[in-house]
Amino acid sequence: MSAEPIERGRVAADADAIAEDRRRLEETWKFASGLWGWLSEVSHTRIGKRYVVTALGFFALGGIEALLMRIQLARPENHFLNADLYNEIFTTHGTTMMFLFAVPMMLGLGVYLVPLMIGTRNLSFPRLNALSYWVYLFGGLFLYAGFFLNTGPDAGWFAYVPLAGPEYSPGKRVDIWAQMITFTEISALAVAVNLITTIFKKRAPGMSLNRIPLFVWAMLVTSFMVVFAMPAVMLSSLMLALDRLVDTQFFNPAQGGDALLWQHLFWFFGHPEVYIIFIPATGIVSTILAPFTRREVFGYLALVLSLVATGFIGFGLWVHHMFATGLPQLGQSFFTAASIMIAIPSGVQIFCWIATLWTGRILYRTPLLYVLGFIFTFVIGGLTGVMLAAVPLDLQVHDTFFVVAHFHYVLIGGAVFPLLGGLFYWFPKMTGRLLSEKMGKVSFWLVFLGFNLTFFPQHILGLQGMPRRVYTYLPETGWGDMNLLSTMGGLVLTLGVLTYVGNMLWSLMAGPAAGDDPWASDTLEWATSSPPPPYNFQYLPTVDSRYPMWTRREDQPIVTGLRTDRREVLVTDLLDAEPDHRDVLPGPTIWPLVLALGIAATFIISIFTPAGLLIGAVPCLVALIAWFWPRGDTDLKVLKERA
Amino acid sequence: MPAMSAMSAILIPDWVGRHSAIASAGPQAGRIEGLWWLMFWVSTAVFVAVMVALGGAMARRPRILGDSEPPHALTPEERGRMNRLVGGAVAVTVVILFVLLVASVGTGRAIASLSAPHAPIVKVTGHQWWWQVEYVDAVPGRSLTTANEIHIPVGRPVLFRLQATDVIHSFWVPNLHGKRDMIPGHDNEIWIQADRPGVYRGQCAEFCGFQHAHMGLLVIAEPPAQYEAWYKSQLQPAATPVTARQERGRQLVQSLPCALCHNVQGSQASGKTGPDLTHLASRRTIAAGTLPNTRGNLAGWILDPQTVKPGNHMPANTMASDDLQALLDYLEILK
Amino acid sequence: MRQRAALDVSHLPTTAFGSRAPLWWGAVGIMAIEGTMFAIMAASYFYLRGDAAVWPPTGTLHPGLGITTLNLVILLATALPMHLAAKAALKDDLSGIRLWLIVSTVLMVAFLAVRWMILQRLTFLWNSHAYGSLVWTTAGLHTVHVVTGVIENLLFITLLTKGPVEDKHMLDVRLNSMYWYFVVVSWVFFYFIFFLDPGLLARR
Repeated sequence: MSAEPIERGRVAADADAIAEDRRRLEETWKFASGLWGWLSEVSHTRIGKRYVVTALGFFALGGIEALLMRIQLARPENHFLNADLYNEIFTTHGTTMMFLFAVPMMLGLGVYLVPLMIGTRNLSFPRLNALSYWVYLFGGLFLYAGFFLNTGPDAGWFAYVPLAGPEYSPGKRVDIWAQMITFTEISALAVAVNLITTIFKKRAPGMSLNRIPLFVWAMLVTSFMVVFAMPAVMLSSLMLALDRLVDTQFFNPAQGGDALLWQHLFWFFGHPEVYIIFIPATGIVSTILAPFTRREVFGYLALVLSLVATGFIGFGLWVHHMFATGLPQLGQSFFTAASIMIAIPSGVQIFCWIATLWTGRILYRTPLLYVLGFIFTFVIGGLTGVMLAAVPLDLQVHDTFFVVAHFHYVLIGGAVFPLLGGLFYWFPKMTGRLLSEKMGKVSFWLVFLGFNLTFFPQHILGLQGMPRRVYTYLPETGWGDMNLLSTMGGLVLTLGVLTYVGNMLWSLMAGPAAGDDPWASDTLEWATSSPPPPYNFQYLPTVDSRYPMWTRREDQPIVTGLRTDRREVLVTDLLDAEPDHRDVLPGPTIWPLVLALGIAATFIISIFTPAGLLIGAVPCLVALIAWFWPRGDTDLKVLKERA
Repeated sequence: MPAMSAMSAILIPDWVGRHSAIASAGPQAGRIEGLWWLMFWVSTAVFVAVMVALGGAMARRPRILGDSEPPHALTPEERGRMNRLVGGAVAVTVVILFVLLVASVGTGRAIASLSAPHAPIVKVTGHQWWWQVEYVDAVPGRSLTTANEIHIPVGRPVLFRLQATDVIHSFWVPNLHGKRDMIPGHDNEIWIQADRPGVYRGQCAEFCGFQHAHMGLLVIAEPPAQYEAWYKSQLQPAATPVTARQERGRQLVQSLPCALCHNVQGSQASGKTGPDLTHLASRRTIAAGTLPNTRGNLAGWILDPQTVKPGNHMPANTMASDDLQALLDYLEILK
Repeated sequence: MRQRAALDVSHLPTTAFGSRAPLWWGAVGIMAIEGTMFAIMAASYFYLRGDAAVWPPTGTLHPGLGITTLNLVILLATALPMHLAAKAALKDDLSGIRLWLIVSTVLMVAFLAVRWMILQRLTFLWNSHAYGSLVWTTAGLHTVHVVTGVIENLLFITLLTKGPVEDKHMLDVRLNSMYWYFVVVSWVFFYFIFFLDPGLLARR
């Protein structure tokens, strides 16, 4: 599997030739300018940044919603929010955090980082990437348009039927939810295919499978999980929309439908979804560990296999969300075993990371603090996860605040902590500016303490019998004190996040210049300037280890012979990343945006009438034809001239 | 176990005896509570061990890399030692997980094994947002219907048949057993036994819409004799008015919108969509475990149920003060 | 003059077929996604069937084994010209591609016409019962795929007539055929499920 870069030769490296190459690359790859250009952009760094910023925006909205809920629950019988608004807010909070923050944020980071980490100039399908972003953005805006027009979904983020069905949720609230799901799933699926193709075919010569950076491995496994998990929720949300719109009977027990079908389909997606969020976070953890321990991450193979194992087992546990529905005993034991088994690859990862810390010289910078905080909280979340896998215990704490505490430990501790560490780590690359370390540390401690103060008491509330999704509770339940504590924790957590965001804003205005490689890191994104130029690397790099930046020789070969007068990239083979052929990527275009608008029109109109599918098909078709119709400007071999 | 209750006392000073999953009053909840403490202590030990390892890593002063070494590599000795440590930790993890799996499956079997012939059968139907309770008896005339308050005999298994006709609800009395969903189209069963007399609070555990928060119930476990007495009293038709005001109250129940939804056995009020009121006054709470059953609360509820429990299906009623008092007089005799 | 080590790739081709091409992986990705969706549709069918006492619901008549089988044969037949078009693409044989695309498009339209007749013969609608919802939704989703296939073929035919045709379009033609095989195969399963289903045959 080890592949030495082939066909090495020598090229002239005089300053004039280099400058000329750069001038031509800049001309060919330059970012589109002006409003039109901004709307037509297909650069993965630009779109990746849009993902990150948009996802942070939704994170802020979801966070405000969380805070409103915490204020409402601070005292028993509180009247800060009424039942209706509370139900809308908790549904929108969950939906936002899962579909509009966590998944797009992780995929967006992948969009930004993967091409840089594997040493290429863009994703395989740049225009598809633009489409993914627009569809995601419109889905999010659509949800919030509904929310602010008092049509926010209110049946929970997993929208169980019959509550979410036509009879018990009249109006358009749940329709908006179902269509928003389709928006974001289309977007995520397109990104997943794009990432898989890019990782398979665009790696720098020499980056064989066993040299792929762990973050890229994580994105690869995640993308595969997206491909096989998200169709289930697309189909089920389609069924729900049809039940509501044209009276299909999928979930109506009176006509042969079944409410549990929804739960099976939703959780067949919903459980892998958790890993779709968590696996990229493990990639971030591994990425941060190397530079801040100055050692290789221990157990590369074990870590990769753990990711792959998690990816597979993640599809075998969905029923543990349904233990209380009264399924047969035998099936339950199977899903208990599978759910407990997934703790093994998670354990392997934790042990490998601790081994890395053990052998390395730890540099206590903010990104590493988040990794340490991650290990602390994720171990707790993992252990409560094992408890929830045990059917009898699950029957007690299922649908209580214990579960709320558990998944916030796993999702905030397990994914948002690494994400905050990762954003801190890559912020200099994305913006060219350093963040304040002092503010970073303050934000870490506020976030870490605030988080634990918010969510630890919720375990106890769950054991005391407090169900989730209640807008209030009676004073005699005795849940008041822990809730008050939790709300105070929420305020501290908010303060921490605000400090973090403040740090970013400060740095954007006044942060010191970062330089190419401020952390002395090991992966290829640090081999180019900060922020990277539109073509990422003047000469595509070659790789002969897992830590290319640390083992780069004085005379490390560069890739030459790619044309600089068109957007040419190198395609390499799947296993060994041997050069195979040259691919010409398309440039900026408005049509992905037009198509995204067409898709949005289709979904929005079809909430009101089935004819929306036909009406919307027209602009979509026009946009697709315009997108793909050849203009004869690629300078490829022409078999037949324009008639 | 003293250590455990000491632990629980530290964690939450006053949770014992309350609405709680780890203050068990029956064999099912007791077994689950045992599993909980097993898992709690194992998890605590695992967490402490991982944190010690992490702390050890942070406290260590590892070798400084020489200039000639690649900046990242481990020495073969380091690698070998780490391989053994990580491998050992994984092996221990697997063993622990296996033990927990066995404990979980064993507990699952044990709690599924409770049953008894000739047990009382209670059919509970979840509605938005109250519980319909029917005692099913093969002997004609021995079946009865009530709402939101379930009496059971202490020390005997009771079979609960759970169903829902509108949306999914979940029946949960944490001191007695874990929850079981009530799903339209899927009837469920659950066996419950209380070993100690007491009033155990339960609450709907599956989000069921607007007033999910106020869908409580009480399970009252009584010594068998007391239970029998209660059962007999519930079989009686509604009390007959004695005073003129009470009679006026009954007229009102039959004529106002009340009768459309509520049933009072032995009167002309025979609605089925709301809780049965035949023995309303014998119940401790109104509005599904939301308010103590006092005259004042009842008055407030009848006049303006939407303030107490916004969105519930009972409409507001406007009536003259005299009429209200008469109505309350009547409802109060429905023991 | 200063020199540095380099890996010269200027001699490499700019197109490649099959799994060498990134676009091939894109097409495989789409097929994986939609295949999963169809598989989950089938799983839902069997899940609901497992619940039902009578399946399909009483009063459901078979639209006719003859016409449904005929339509399957037409669908299978479309794959042959699509295959020949893909073969012609290997040789840059533009007129060959166009010919076979026209032939397959005619067959696809015939398939759609017969499907229309079959749907007319169904004794239930999508809102009659869950069985009806499953059949109509699956047929609807599949029809969308067939219509998309027709539109793609028409676009290719137009492109091959009007130009400009570049060598990368040969890959597009081959992937168009590959995707079409997927559309054909996915219906084969549903033919068995819907029209050869023993429960249904017993009720004829």
